Amino acid sequence: MKLHQTKRQDAAIPTASMADIAFLLIIFFMVTVTFEVDKAQLTLPESQIRLEVPKKSAYVSVTEDGTIRVSSGEEISVVVPGPEDVVSFAASVVASDPTKVFVIKADTNTRYQLVDRVIDGLKQAKVETIFLLSGPEAMDEAGEAGGAAGGVG
Amino acid sequence: MHFRNRGSRKVSDEIPTASMADIAFLLIIYFMVTTTFAATRGLDWALPKDEDNPPLVEKEESVLVEIQAAGNLVVDGQPMQLDEILDYLEPKLERNPMKPVIIRPDANAPYGRMVDVFDELRRGQELGVEVKNISIPTQREIEAFWF
Repeated sequence: MKLHQTKRQDAAIPTASMADIAFLLIIFFMVTVTFEVDKAQLTLPESQIRLEVPKKSAYVSVTEDGTIRVSSGEEISVVVPGPEDVVSFAASVVASDPTKVFVIKADTNTRYQLVDRVIDGLKQAKVETIFLLSGPEAMDEAGEAGGAAGGVG
Repeated sequence: MHFRNRGSRKVSDEIPTASMADIAFLLIIYFMVTTTFAATRGLDWALPKDEDNPPLVEKEESVLVEIQAAGNLVVDGQPMQLDEILDYLEPKLERNPMKPVIIRPDANAPYGRMVDVFDELRRGQELGVEVKNISIPTQREIEAFWF
C-alpha cells in the first residue's frame, strides 16, 4: 500500500510584492515631502480661516525673542540683524519674481511692533500678497474671551 | 590536466531582487524623516498694489478696531469682546458694504491678537457679514497719512 506522500511546504515568506509596497510608500512620501525652509520653533497664532500657502513662498519668521529669519523659499532661512533688513531682502526677491508670495511666520506672543515693521518692510518692497501662517483653532471657545486658554471642558 | 571549471556551472538568469526591498525601505525611511507635514496654511492678505498712492480711507467713515497692549479690544471707542465685533459691524455694513475697517494694534499687543481680529473679520463672510475693506496700516503709514 502506497502511503500518501507528504508534500514538503516551502517555509519562505513571499517577498515579491514587498518592493511594490515599498515603492508605493516612497512615491507617497516623495509627493508629500516639503522641505521646510524655516526651522524656527514657535507657537503659531490660531485662526479659523486657513488657506494653503503656495509652494516655494518666501518666508520671514519672527520668534518671540525678536529673532528674524528670512528665506526666499529655495534655501534654508538665515538670521537677519533687524526688521530694516527685511526691505532689502524682500526687494531682491520681488525683483526676480514680482508675484512672489511672502509668508510671515511669527510667534503668537511676539510684540506687534516687530511684526508691524516686518509688514512695513514687505509693503515698501512692493510685495503683492502675504500669508500670515497660523495653526488650527483649538476647539475651546472658553479661552476666547479672556485670551488665556481656559481648560474647562 | 585540472580545469577549474569542470562541467558547466549553471548561471542564474534571474535579476537578483532580494536587495530591492532594502533599498526601497532605505528611501522610505529617508523620506519619512525629511517629511514635515509643516503647518503650511494661513491667512492670505493682499496688500494694496500701489504703495505710493494708498487708497484714502476717511478716518471718520471707517470703523477703528484698536487692540490694546493687554489684548483687549476697543471698537470706535467702546470696549468690546471679539465675538461682538461682527454684530456691531452688521448694520454699518448693510448701509455701506465697502465700509472700511481699520485694525490698529498697539505696539506692545501680542501679534496673535491681531491675527484673531483679522480672522474674525474674514470669517464674517461665512456668517453673512462680509467685511470687504479691511486695512491694517503700519506705524509708518499711520505717521505719514493719519491726521
